[in-house]
Amino acid sequence: MTRLRYLLREAVDNIRSNRTTTFVALATATFTMLAMGVFLLLYLNVQEALGSLREEIKVIVYLRDAVSPQAVSRVRAEIGQDPAVAGTEYVSREQALATFRAQFPSEERLLSGLGDNPFPASLVIKVSPAYRSSEQVRELVQKLNALSETEEVLYSQDWIENLAVALRYLEVLGLGIGTVLAASMVTILANTIRLTLHARREEIEIMKLIGATTAFIKTPFVLEGALLGGAGALCSLFLLRTLFGLAEAKLALRGTFWGIGRGLVFLPDRMTVAFLLLGIMLGCLGSVVSLLQLRGTRS
Amino acid sequence: MIEFYHVSKTYNGWPALHDVSFKIGKGEFVFLTGPSGAGKTTLLRLIFRADAPDKGQILVNNRNLLHIRESEVPYLRRMIGFVFQDFRLLPKRTVFENVALALKVSGVPEGVLRVRVAETLGAVGLGHKLDAMPMALSAGEQQRMCLARAIVNDPQILLADEPTGNLDADLSGEILELMKSANARGTTVVLATHNRELLKRWRRRVMRLEQGRVAEDGCPET
Repeated sequence: MTRLRYLLREAVDNIRSNRTTTFVALATATFTMLAMGVFLLLYLNVQEALGSLREEIKVIVYLRDAVSPQAVSRVRAEIGQDPAVAGTEYVSREQALATFRAQFPSEERLLSGLGDNPFPASLVIKVSPAYRSSEQVRELVQKLNALSETEEVLYSQDWIENLAVALRYLEVLGLGIGTVLAASMVTILANTIRLTLHARREEIEIMKLIGATTAFIKTPFVLEGALLGGAGALCSLFLLRTLFGLAEAKLALRGTFWGIGRGLVFLPDRMTVAFLLLGIMLGCLGSVVSLLQLRGTRS
Repeated sequence: MIEFYHVSKTYNGWPALHDVSFKIGKGEFVFLTGPSGAGKTTLLRLIFRADAPDKGQILVNNRNLLHIRESEVPYLRRMIGFVFQDFRLLPKRTVFENVALALKVSGVPEGVLRVRVAETLGAVGLGHKLDAMPMALSAGEQQRMCLARAIVNDPQILLADEPTGNLDADLSGEILELMKSANARGTTVVLATHNRELLKRWRRRVMRLEQGRVAEDGCPET
């Protein structure tokens, strides 16, 4: 306990004795981690949106105007037997018109110019989770198009898949940018620790001579790196949360995000802890890099 | 306690020690003398494992220094107290902290550490300067502080490299007395000096080095 207290105090002393360098290192760690955090948030939200869209894959079959209610029932029964279909919902022409009026009350003038109800009746088909691949949805659409009652089939599968591909690119890009940012943070923290090491080289020499083990000498510097990395991560989390709140308020996205159905998401608790640990780990790594120069020196 | 067998050490082609052999028993007090450049500091550094010999074997407390691992060196040094000629004090630490560091590296609990440091500093006459900074002390006080740091953990061996080099006769006498006290408690002492006065004050075994060789080894006649 005494030793731990001593080592921690040494680490804090190192930080205090090198205030300007420490401030620069802390600022760099903060902004590096902030950049990583922004990217992570972007990735998380796109992923969240994609998940939300995938859950809501729907195929809309617009029916010909002449289709009778009996024919609609028959078509629903027929479609319902397909394993790719999780459920069907009939939307009559009147319901479609009412929905449009409710969603776009300001566009009433548009409707009056069109005269009679311009909306066709439709069947909204929910796709079973096991049949949501591009191929499977396309196959279902082909079947639906072949029906004599079908006027047109619309579905959102393609652009969802495109978004998934974009997400994968985003993943690779994020990993690349993250690696570069992490490397720069490690380098800057390593330089900070190196300066402390240089300032205390005489002390280190004396400690070696009076029987200090390598661990005893090096631990305060590793702790210093961990403290700087952790503090940087903490500051960046605070900034990230502030920026997130501003973005949420600015874009008025508390309800829905581009109509996807869910609000913006911040880092979940587990990821926040992991983010902090990443900061600490990168700080330690910076220290270890700078401490490598102590190896092999004999006194 | 300390055994040298045909030890040689060269620095950049210059022979600092050549074929040196001797034994120092437990509890002995040995003066190491000789002109500057005779190899006194080199010999002490070899005992301390600050350097390794080019040839020969060195045994300290029955352990061959050639065969100990790098990770074991700190533990060897904890049983050896070293009084440096240039003091080697930490200027930004108080007198207490400087001396306490020798115990902290060994993991001595805080309570024990406080008592032992205070006792040791009291014994060397610095009990009233625990919170002073080293630079505020006189040369004699700094040397006593260095001695306190060397003996605070009751080492089995005490090595001193010209501990009275910068001190006047009175202060040199004080330092010698402190070393005699350590020796009386059973510590083996090797004191490197070219101060003939010290040798006259206390007649003990004298090992004289010349050009890296042991020129003389024995107790002077009274």
